[in-house]
Amino acid sequence: MLRLDDIVVRLGDFCLNSVSLSITKGEYLVLLGPTGTGKTVLLETIAGIHRPRKGRIWINGRDVTRQPPEKRGLGIVYQDYALFPHLNVEQNIAFGLRSTGMSERQSRRTMEDLVRFLDIGHLLKRRPAQLSGGEQQRVALARALVMKPFLLLLDEPLSALDRASRDRLRHELKRIHREIGVTILHITHDLEEALFLADRMAIMENGSILQHDRPEAVFARPNSRAVAKIAGIRNLLEAIPENGRWVTFLGVVDIEDILKNCATDPGQKICISIPGWNVEVFPGKPEDSYLWKGTLRVAETRLIGDLVDLVLSGGNGGDDIRTSLSRREWETLSPFVEQGKNVPVGICKKGIHCIM
Amino acid sequence: MRSFGTVLFGLGFILVLFVAMPLVRMILAADPAVLKGVLAETRVYQSILLTLRAALWATLLCAVCGVPLAYILARRQFPGKSLVEGIIDLPIMIPHTAAGIALLMVYGKSFLLGRLFSRLGVGFVGTEAGISLAMAFVSVPFLVNSAKDGFLAIDPRLERVARTLGASPWRVFLKVSLPLAWRSILSGAIMMWARGISEFGAVVVLAYHPMTAPVLIWERFGAYGLKYARPVAVVLILICLIIFFVLRALSAKQEEN
Repeated sequence: MLRLDDIVVRLGDFCLNSVSLSITKGEYLVLLGPTGTGKTVLLETIAGIHRPRKGRIWINGRDVTRQPPEKRGLGIVYQDYALFPHLNVEQNIAFGLRSTGMSERQSRRTMEDLVRFLDIGHLLKRRPAQLSGGEQQRVALARALVMKPFLLLLDEPLSALDRASRDRLRHELKRIHREIGVTILHITHDLEEALFLADRMAIMENGSILQHDRPEAVFARPNSRAVAKIAGIRNLLEAIPENGRWVTFLGVVDIEDILKNCATDPGQKICISIPGWNVEVFPGKPEDSYLWKGTLRVAETRLIGDLVDLVLSGGNGGDDIRTSLSRREWETLSPFVEQGKNVPVGICKKGIHCIM
Repeated sequence: MRSFGTVLFGLGFILVLFVAMPLVRMILAADPAVLKGVLAETRVYQSILLTLRAALWATLLCAVCGVPLAYILARRQFPGKSLVEGIIDLPIMIPHTAAGIALLMVYGKSFLLGRLFSRLGVGFVGTEAGISLAMAFVSVPFLVNSAKDGFLAIDPRLERVARTLGASPWRVFLKVSLPLAWRSILSGAIMMWARGISEFGAVVVLAYHPMTAPVLIWERFGAYGLKYARPVAVVLILICLIIFFVLRALSAKQEEN
């Protein structure tokens, strides 16, 4: 549906480096990356706002690289919605239809179903300044969707909202995607949002796409440290080969099973990506389920909603191991898992991935 | 903190007094009967009308080119952009009599452009067209700069969204940029008009006759002294103030809507 081939964009000091990406029809692709990494520039390049220095953009098999935005048939919704402040909601939604030469009455009829679907009928005569953040977002979505775009581009659409509205609108986006069937490219720096919405996820940093896969696959097999960090993997453990064994700051780890299928250069350091849920406090599985077992000191406990974050220190001033317990687990274990106490810890082999 | 505010307020107030006092004193000292008599004088009445009209033409004609230029300056980057901005600001810096002479050199009959216009039946020396030309030259920076600020204040993403919604650059300009910058354009036009009305130096070089109100005031001051110049000056100031307040109120209302 959309294909980017080696797109290079230069804007002042900023550069998109040879970005290639594809989205299939009906897919919800989330582009995840830290702020300032070029996500919006990429989105605007797809929309036709910036012209790439190199590369090609294809939409439905048509090369649109040189086409202006109005010929591409894409919709865009920005972080702060960019509603036209001098027009009321109805005029905002009708703007695109009127641009095609449609009469006022016809455009009103065309938008009817969508207005009902997004439940914004009562807002039609209001100005954008009189709407809440959530309402503005629904109007911005309606304005883009009424044009029946091939692809809807969403630029951090939830980040300007409070938590409650964000949760509600996340479900709303999912509903729109499911029921209208529109293909969506959504950019965000919020991992939770990405995991909730994405069919597939592209991880971006410093103007390049680092990995592009299903969310579970990115999470299970990050292809670099940067991806592991952006994907929110809690522990990245460096392992050095020594006399045929792998040594980390925790000591010797048993990762031979995991490395069996990987080609490692002799003497090369590797990085073990360990999600928080792979770290067990009071480990109770058979011995060979763990790549490491030992005792760590509880350096910090932090209550975050239903979870308790634990920072476990190796004791030699080195790195930490981080994990979370559910509130219930923590309440059972709390006499033993207090700050400053030593606890037995095991790192499970299942779900571990090694980054070369 | 309190003394900080008081000092700032005091210093600022001195400046407000400096500007307002001469105007207020002149208006208060004027005898309404004399003013009425002056307004009834055909020469005065006609010169004021001529001044308003010539400045209005200057403003309208400059808006046709000035607003697009302002938009380009606000939205595009191009080589020589700061040179263009400098050229537009230039009339504010140079003495206006010198500007008048410079205009005479291009639009007078000794230069190609002046001759070309004269062949088309438009002369700039001693004509209303010349007055408008002089007014336009010295006052156009007010319009262009204000309109540019207006366009700069619009979030470019509004225009980008409009493009993705199928609007051509023309439609985006007419339906999004122009309505949103309207207030700045209007207030720039008011400033330009007011500045045109008050222009003396450049106008007097190009066209002593027909006489604009500032030239008439100067003539009366030179020939008959303060007593005869003052009523015309008061009338002109009052007219300018009325225009100024009415249009300001209009543009403020626009903003509310």
